[in-house]
Amino acid sequence: MDELDLTFVDQAVEKIGTGPEKVLELLQAVQEHFRYLPNEALERVCELTQISPASIAGVSTFYSQFRHRPAGRHIIRVCIGTACHVKGGGQVYDAFKRQLGIGEEEDTDPQKLFTVEKVACLGCCMLAPVIQIQGQAIQIDSITYGHLSSEQVPVVLRDFLEQQKASALQADKPESLREIMDLGEIRICLCSSCVAGGSGKVYKALRKAVKETGVRAVVKSVGCSGMSYLVPLVEVVLADGTSFRYARIQPADARAIVLRHFKPKQIGRKIKNAVSTMLDKILTDKAWEPVTRYSIDVRDRPMAGFLDKQLHIATENYGDIDPIDLDEYVRNDGFEALQRCLSQMGPKEVITEIERSGLRGRGGAGYSTYLKWSAVSDSRSKKKYVICNGDEGDPGAFMDRMLMESYPYRIIEGITIAAYSVGADEGYLYIRAEYPLAIRRMSQAIDNAAQRGFLGDDIVKSGFSLRLKIIAGAGAFVCGEETALIASIEGRRGMPRLRPPYPVESGLWGKPTLINNVETYAVVPWIIRNGPEAFARLGTSSSKGTKVFALAGKVARGGLIEVPMGVSIHQIIEDIGGGIAGDLRLKAVQVGGPSGGCVPAELAHIPVDFEALNDVGAMMGSGGIVALDETDCMVDIARYFLDFTQNQSCGKCTFCRIGTRRMLDILERLCNGQGKKTDIEELEHLAQMVQKTSLCGLGKTAPNPVLSTIKYFRDEYEAHIEKRCPAGKCTALITYSITDDCIGCSLCAQRCPADAIEMKPYEKHEIDPEKCIRCGTCKSVCQSNAIKVQ
Amino acid sequence: MPKLFIDNREVEVDKDATILDAAGKLGIEIPTMCFLKDYKPSTSCMICVVKVNGLDNLVPACGTVVKDGMRVESSSDQVRQARKAALELLLSDHVGDCLGPCQVICPARMNIPLMIRQIAAGKFREAIATVKKDIALPAVLGRICPKPCEKGCRRAVFDEAVSIGLLKRYVADLDLQSSNPYLPSCKPTQDKRVAIVGAGPAGLAASYYLQQAGFRCTVFDDHEKPGGMLRYAVPKEHLPIEVLNKEIALIEKLGMRFKGQTRIGTDLLMEDLRKDFDAVFVAVGQRRKASPSGLKPGEAESMGIEASPNGITVNGKTYQTNLTGVFAGGDAVHKRRLTVRAVADGKEAAVSINQYLSGSSVTGPVKEFNTRIGKLMDGEIEKFLACADKAERTSPSGKDGGFTDRQARKEAVRCLHCDCRKADTCKLRQYARDYGARPTRYKGERRLFTQQLQSPTNCHLGKDSSLPEVQTGGSGSIGAGDIIYEAGKCIDCGLCIQTAAAAGEELGLTFVGRGFDVRVAVPFDRSIAQALKHSADQCVNACPTGALAFRISL
Repeated sequence: MDELDLTFVDQAVEKIGTGPEKVLELLQAVQEHFRYLPNEALERVCELTQISPASIAGVSTFYSQFRHRPAGRHIIRVCIGTACHVKGGGQVYDAFKRQLGIGEEEDTDPQKLFTVEKVACLGCCMLAPVIQIQGQAIQIDSITYGHLSSEQVPVVLRDFLEQQKASALQADKPESLREIMDLGEIRICLCSSCVAGGSGKVYKALRKAVKETGVRAVVKSVGCSGMSYLVPLVEVVLADGTSFRYARIQPADARAIVLRHFKPKQIGRKIKNAVSTMLDKILTDKAWEPVTRYSIDVRDRPMAGFLDKQLHIATENYGDIDPIDLDEYVRNDGFEALQRCLSQMGPKEVITEIERSGLRGRGGAGYSTYLKWSAVSDSRSKKKYVICNGDEGDPGAFMDRMLMESYPYRIIEGITIAAYSVGADEGYLYIRAEYPLAIRRMSQAIDNAAQRGFLGDDIVKSGFSLRLKIIAGAGAFVCGEETALIASIEGRRGMPRLRPPYPVESGLWGKPTLINNVETYAVVPWIIRNGPEAFARLGTSSSKGTKVFALAGKVARGGLIEVPMGVSIHQIIEDIGGGIAGDLRLKAVQVGGPSGGCVPAELAHIPVDFEALNDVGAMMGSGGIVALDETDCMVDIARYFLDFTQNQSCGKCTFCRIGTRRMLDILERLCNGQGKKTDIEELEHLAQMVQKTSLCGLGKTAPNPVLSTIKYFRDEYEAHIEKRCPAGKCTALITYSITDDCIGCSLCAQRCPADAIEMKPYEKHEIDPEKCIRCGTCKSVCQSNAIKVQ
Repeated sequence: MPKLFIDNREVEVDKDATILDAAGKLGIEIPTMCFLKDYKPSTSCMICVVKVNGLDNLVPACGTVVKDGMRVESSSDQVRQARKAALELLLSDHVGDCLGPCQVICPARMNIPLMIRQIAAGKFREAIATVKKDIALPAVLGRICPKPCEKGCRRAVFDEAVSIGLLKRYVADLDLQSSNPYLPSCKPTQDKRVAIVGAGPAGLAASYYLQQAGFRCTVFDDHEKPGGMLRYAVPKEHLPIEVLNKEIALIEKLGMRFKGQTRIGTDLLMEDLRKDFDAVFVAVGQRRKASPSGLKPGEAESMGIEASPNGITVNGKTYQTNLTGVFAGGDAVHKRRLTVRAVADGKEAAVSINQYLSGSSVTGPVKEFNTRIGKLMDGEIEKFLACADKAERTSPSGKDGGFTDRQARKEAVRCLHCDCRKADTCKLRQYARDYGARPTRYKGERRLFTQQLQSPTNCHLGKDSSLPEVQTGGSGSIGAGDIIYEAGKCIDCGLCIQTAAAAGEELGLTFVGRGFDVRVAVPFDRSIAQALKHSADQCVNACPTGALAFRISL
């Protein structure tokens, strides 16, 4: 093998630094350069820095982001988040491996072109199943594909390779908005899930259309409206304020939309436009339908349903303002709360406001925010830290990503107010690696805010200073646990430690540290501006204000929503989500991800409230809501979450490290039809042991999905012991067959990846159960609904 | 200074003290594995969990700092259940045999691996002591035993089993031929007497161990000479009579009295024996064609002892019959016809009789706790071979088909050392026994067996000049410094990592991986020798299990 050129390592160390806490950042740099972590490079890092071999070996094997063997040229990351799981992400993963001829133990094809990896959650749950293919420059030309199925895999691969060839096109920079303020705006969200849904291409097309037609309008990237189910969603706002929304736009529609609302500058152009439009019509060889087909109105029932029950505090100004435009933020009352705190209120007064608001932490456990702030504030230590926990790792949750991508200044403002009230002058935003856009936008916002005196030394001439730094996580769900997150910032393996002492006494570098979740910080400015009473008026007696949820799964309308506490789960699913898509019925609602539980449809009337959710065996968690229908197997759901938690366990304490694995063993046995009579009791026993004796929150809550499904769906567990999967999900327990409805179209035979169906045109087809791999392709391609799953 | 209550006992300790410290002050023992004094608590094994009133969860005592007014339960049911579960979970992920498979399969549970290592090291006096701890007549058995141990020998997966039977015979013969054959030390003689009925292998073995325990034994037999079927039924060409005589003589040397030509039931009644002796052990064998003196049908019943067509009915653990103070074993109880089983019965019954005579409750011998790897997976035997000589099985050429000195040592180094090097000090094993943990409670796919030697070239235990030259490598000669790391026995406590770091090891050790796959490893796939240049001994001592051990354990 050629000797590796390590010049890059030297440069990276030069740039990043040599302290032991730099290990994560250096590893990320090395991996970005080499696309994996060659041992020689790691040893070189140890030579040049204070990082020990033990530290680098320990850290680099802890986080999922790091690879120790070379990768293919492109990495295909198949999302196996909850929504993707229930919509067949696992089958898509298998299909990619099959298509690329990758062996069981391998992850890269023989030509070393593609590496296929599973990823915990890409945070695009409404597009499930989703995959992302990384181009060579990792974060820039990656393409996300949504709504996939196994048989689309070859198409996706072909499309990606074509796109790669054509990707000379660079995303052009948004124009300065200041000079054209009096113009109309064409608004589109470019957050990562909207881009995954096609908004990026529409944005480019709109800009091209505006440029070519010369209309007086500006195409503007705005904070996400959360209506993921309508993506790509475009809003046209005229200078007089009237607005029009278009849903599920295609790039080809861009020009028509532009011309519908804006007049081109010159007559000549108008004619030219008319001609070119006419030409387009001919060229696209498509029956022309007026663009209004996509037009929707807020007064329309479905959209009104989606929005009516919502209340926007953390997501204030959704869909209106440019996430990165500091002026626009300031024009919309941005940094007003901070200025008021710094100029008119003492730190204690701020904490009193938070106390009166009744705000509880949005990270999951719901600890009283003011108690946390007071504890740090009361500490006499000279040095204190604030940390914003943006390590949103729950599969099926993407609230924090959306907030960071859409409202970065609001989060900065919240953190700064918190830092002022507790007396911290240094802070960190820990953002998970899977959110590159959030990292980019937050960094840019921090720079902009600092330039304008909202961060840094002597903020708005108040004498108060705060320095904020972003730490990119590297793929470890457990780092959402505060002591693990601190360990990670300090450059160690993200292993939680026993509490007490809590971080408020001894946190980062042993100093008192305030750690809050993204959403907690995001509501702080609103509370200060509107008064704590306004916030406390919302919600229930113990849970105040609003909560942001990621609504996904089998609902008709999914996306990011913010609702007042106390709204029932039923209202969220039915009124906002429009109920279950298709003609299936709601079976259960998974609330709170791997720490939460499954609330059965009968209990959907319970309100969204920390205590009410705990009482039914679920948990607020960080706020993922995944609706499940009759085709979802509850044992499989429990297995899915346990697979996740046992994989994400830091591996420290016995109960979490081995206990969750043994629980998974039992669940896998059940799903494979090898369950034993005693398995349910054994599972309950183990679950209780793990719950009561694990060291940190991950282990303590890991049994929730299991216990809640046993509690409400015990009959399904019993059925699995009898080798039946009532929902028809567990592949070992089901068979595919073809009914008499078959019209002999032979589509299934053409598409079957396992050659389990013989092609017999105009005859009834049959599936060879020995060859069938239960991938579901036949069912998805069958036009006459003739595939039966038993 | 905070005051707290542990198990309702008040104690006052420093404000930084942990619950473990406080318990220590009260003399309450809380088990610990991942914690050692002066180390940073890693709170990982969770064996030290206690219940603190007011808290939902159990907390690890080693890392939980006391609070004034705290009330702690250190051994409530809930606490003990959790500890047991922790142990069972750790055992479910444990790849290792406490005892070698040969020892487990041996009816007498003789510590075969230890004997073999002692032979390899030339420590013959120690070897015979090891043998005789469990087998009273090794020279005899070395000739006639069908050697179930060799069926269990893992070496057979690679080529052929180690010649355990011949090695035992070699040690025993060497001892019998020596000027002062091995005699175990006996406890002071007590004023209690045991009647042993039947001078066959079971009776002789029982008296051998009871004499050592300080009880005077009289062995009755209807033959003229002791030995039972060994003397009267086994062909001389298989078992020369002088070998039997010599081994019996050694038992008599301990004080055993033999009364021949006395048949119980005719010459002497059971009632008389029970009157004259403090305990009776019935080991009369079964009536067979070759041994007409054994138990006749109905004979036991006539003495008032319950029996079935298979033999005398006894408690399987304690060898007690229905008559108080009367025990039975050997072929009189079962029809196995295995001499080694009879010898084992004698030894085990002696334990029960000792308990009975000492006035303690009669529970029989303690069954040693054991975990097992079971069947090997592909590639694992090669890992085991790292520590053994790869030569094929040695053919004996000595007198009467025994081993010569050279052959014995050559054969001994073929042993794979399957048994745990720290079986006697392993905390996991100790607590598993204490808490009645079942190693097979939770089943899952097991990890692959691995072992890393600190100096893989220094593998040969023997120093016979005809063996391949022992290479001493850079790290010195064979000795205490050589250590072995078996990842399958690691409980991820991290004490070795802390130790190596504190010792300033340049490379040291670290955790790698996450979740279930977390293991202790050397950075950059280097060797253990490179990782632990000067703290190997400390690491072995800190390790609570057999994961890190000195390679040679004698």
